[in-house]
Amino acid sequence: MPLAPSQPLLPGLANASDQLLANGATVVSLSLPDSPLVCLDFWCRAGSVFESAAESGMAHFLEHMVFKGSERLGPGEFDLRIEAMGGNSNAATGFDDVHYHVLIPPEAAAEALDLLLDLVLHPRLDAAAFDMERQVVLEELAQSEDQPDEIALQQLLRLGCPEHAYGEPILGQRELLLEQTPAAMAAFHRRLYGANRCVLAMGGALELETLAERIDASGLAQLPLVEEPCRRPALLVQPGEHRIEVPRLESARLLMLWGLPPASQLHDVMGADLLTTVLAEGRRSRLVERLREQLRIVESIDLDLHVMEFGSFALLEAICETEELASVRKAIDAVWYELLQEGMAEVEWQRAQRLVANGYRFGLEAAGGVAGLIGNNRLWGRHHRLELPLEEIGCWSASELLQQAVPLLDPSRACVLEAVPA
Amino acid sequence: MTSTHPSSANWQHTSLQGGLPLIWQRRPGPAIVACRLWIRGGSSQDLPGQRGAGQLLAGLMTRGCGSYGPEALADLVEGRGAALRAEAAEDFLVISLKCASSDTSELLPLLLSMARQPWLSPDQLELERDLNLQSLQRQREDPFQLAHDQLRHMLYGDGPYGHDPLGVDGELAALQTEQIGALVPDLGQNGALLVACGDLDDELPQLLNPLLNQCPWTTAPPSPGAGPGAASGQERFACLEQDTEQLVLMLGTATVPLGDPDGLALRLLQAHLGMGMSSRLFVTMREERGLAYDVGVHMPARRGATPFIWHLSTSAERAEEATTALLDEWQRVLDQPLSLPELALAKAKYRGQDAMGRQTCGQIADRQALVLGHGLGWSYVEDSLERAQQLDAGTLLAAARRRLSAPSLSICGPAPALTAAELAWQRHDLSS
Repeated sequence: MPLAPSQPLLPGLANASDQLLANGATVVSLSLPDSPLVCLDFWCRAGSVFESAAESGMAHFLEHMVFKGSERLGPGEFDLRIEAMGGNSNAATGFDDVHYHVLIPPEAAAEALDLLLDLVLHPRLDAAAFDMERQVVLEELAQSEDQPDEIALQQLLRLGCPEHAYGEPILGQRELLLEQTPAAMAAFHRRLYGANRCVLAMGGALELETLAERIDASGLAQLPLVEEPCRRPALLVQPGEHRIEVPRLESARLLMLWGLPPASQLHDVMGADLLTTVLAEGRRSRLVERLREQLRIVESIDLDLHVMEFGSFALLEAICETEELASVRKAIDAVWYELLQEGMAEVEWQRAQRLVANGYRFGLEAAGGVAGLIGNNRLWGRHHRLELPLEEIGCWSASELLQQAVPLLDPSRACVLEAVPA
Repeated sequence: MTSTHPSSANWQHTSLQGGLPLIWQRRPGPAIVACRLWIRGGSSQDLPGQRGAGQLLAGLMTRGCGSYGPEALADLVEGRGAALRAEAAEDFLVISLKCASSDTSELLPLLLSMARQPWLSPDQLELERDLNLQSLQRQREDPFQLAHDQLRHMLYGDGPYGHDPLGVDGELAALQTEQIGALVPDLGQNGALLVACGDLDDELPQLLNPLLNQCPWTTAPPSPGAGPGAASGQERFACLEQDTEQLVLMLGTATVPLGDPDGLALRLLQAHLGMGMSSRLFVTMREERGLAYDVGVHMPARRGATPFIWHLSTSAERAEEATTALLDEWQRVLDQPLSLPELALAKAKYRGQDAMGRQTCGQIADRQALVLGHGLGWSYVEDSLERAQQLDAGTLLAAARRRLSAPSLSICGPAPALTAAELAWQRHDLSS
């Protein structure tokens, strides 16, 4: 590890403190006294992976419907009150989980907390609003289908993750969205938004005593437990070679997908992070240097790590001319094989460690990043200190990475999709 | 209790050798430092026939400077786990660095070296130029980009704000080392500044002056004054056929510089119309009609004629309804003053934005560089916050009537939707 051991790994950052409510719900918080804002981030294990076959798109549609009001809050009232206090709010639905977050000045945090918990835990799901919001979701779907690179990515996931929710679009399928009902949505909410599946995370300039009182009096403290659904299957990426023509594509895309260990295996996840950095983070990374800087056959090449609960994946995207696709694939094979055979120099290894460590630190500068990370960690039962990922970086050596991680990205194990202009 | 707004508190400043202002703020905590070397100019100063030169120069700065070749420079920066980039926007060229504070002394001087001693090797120029050309080509996949490019041309023609900072295909393809090299001596002639924020000590001037001794750079703080204007006789309607599901609508006009007296009124109108889920356009277009997923107002902070653009995308079959509804909303801005609650909400959002933009060292440095880079003065942010509270609905309405009276409509989508939207436009009072 290139850092002196006497230096704190995360200067200026305390550790998160946890509170388990009597009903089993979790609250986690971390004070950043200098922050101008507070982030309140409500997490629930209710991503698209928990939908039944008939519930296609329900997790995401529900996220939209939550903002249409609760038993206490009229349509639009939440946004109006949050924004009138100088805050803003948003939400995001993933494969595994959903979260709803508010950024708010400290003096308004307690009221915002009441509003947020009421909104998320008691959605109104009014029938007319449901029909209107379905239109909005269909527009969102259409907007994403007008982006040709989105079409290619969705196709890759479908081909690479057959029989798995990760292969299905989070936005859902149009025909099934048209059949959803408020009653089915209410059942989905009841089934998944239970005390044992929810975490409230708070970061920023917190007045913890006031907030604790509000939490005790909130719907979160009253939330019943729900039965845990049966465990989702692990992701198995299906290797293969595919090619599609996509209208309105201007440059060809080479997409490659590999399965990797799930988020729960932190040591392996940090190894994967180091490896994708060696391969494709920065101009001196192996793939970027070879394909973009030397051979000059790609406009860009990215290799992103998507850390997920039932199996992570690495996703490579190279943008090039159609006639270069074969050379691009050959060059990727060669770069991988050389790394496996020749290993890496100390300087290259240190570079990767520094980039990964700083990336993690930079992500913890603002209240939103902090609340998001501690919320997601607790949601999935990870109680480690925030320094642990940095310590894990130091636990890897270059030779272990070669033996244990590099084989995971064997190009012959990838699901490969060539998307070319129609 | 009185308090000083954090935007003007805590800054220290001095003048480096040759006149470059250095402005820094100590912000201990996460041991991170963010720096911006801001140089007035940018793509609005691309010469005729050389559109894309500013961005190409910026990109080349990261490909070798001073005693570092392209690989050595990347090795140094990436080896420290830092993020370094240089880019041209319409009004400026900026080099941005984010690093661990312990690496500042090694990395910060690079910013000056990149601006004064870029290598500009022909081989690296060819590479960077090809990458920019490919990016321009790929941007055409995005119907929002197409509609935006079309609207920009209507508002600014071939003027300084008329092109994407990446450039224009044919002109960019012809750029050579001589043309890019010719830009370097003049960098900073219209002002430049260096802003740093983070876990810094007070040794910064001593760190930077030796390099400025070695390669002198005569520059000065950017001066106030308006930047480039709009095209005379703005076109009003344009359409582009694309085989997409949705129709993209962009409705907008060229307005006033950031520092103009009407600028703040327009900023409050933006907050009212497009900021957050309680905003007027979000509520009327999305919540009440389900016409769109994404709807908003784009209003960057320009030194010249700032674009004020509404954007929305909707299903092709709802083209007419969406176009009429959007035009009606624009007309409403010209006809009706904001109600008292609307005005209060817009002001609250404007204040809220201020805190949102002060969360990271990078955001703090960005904003300070923008304000001083536009020549707006130290107290601009707090003055604006205070002035915004004084504005009344009549002032906003008068500003709207002065600045927003004749918007242009740019649409992009399938043919039947274009036809329907064009009809709705022609029928509407705003088109005349």
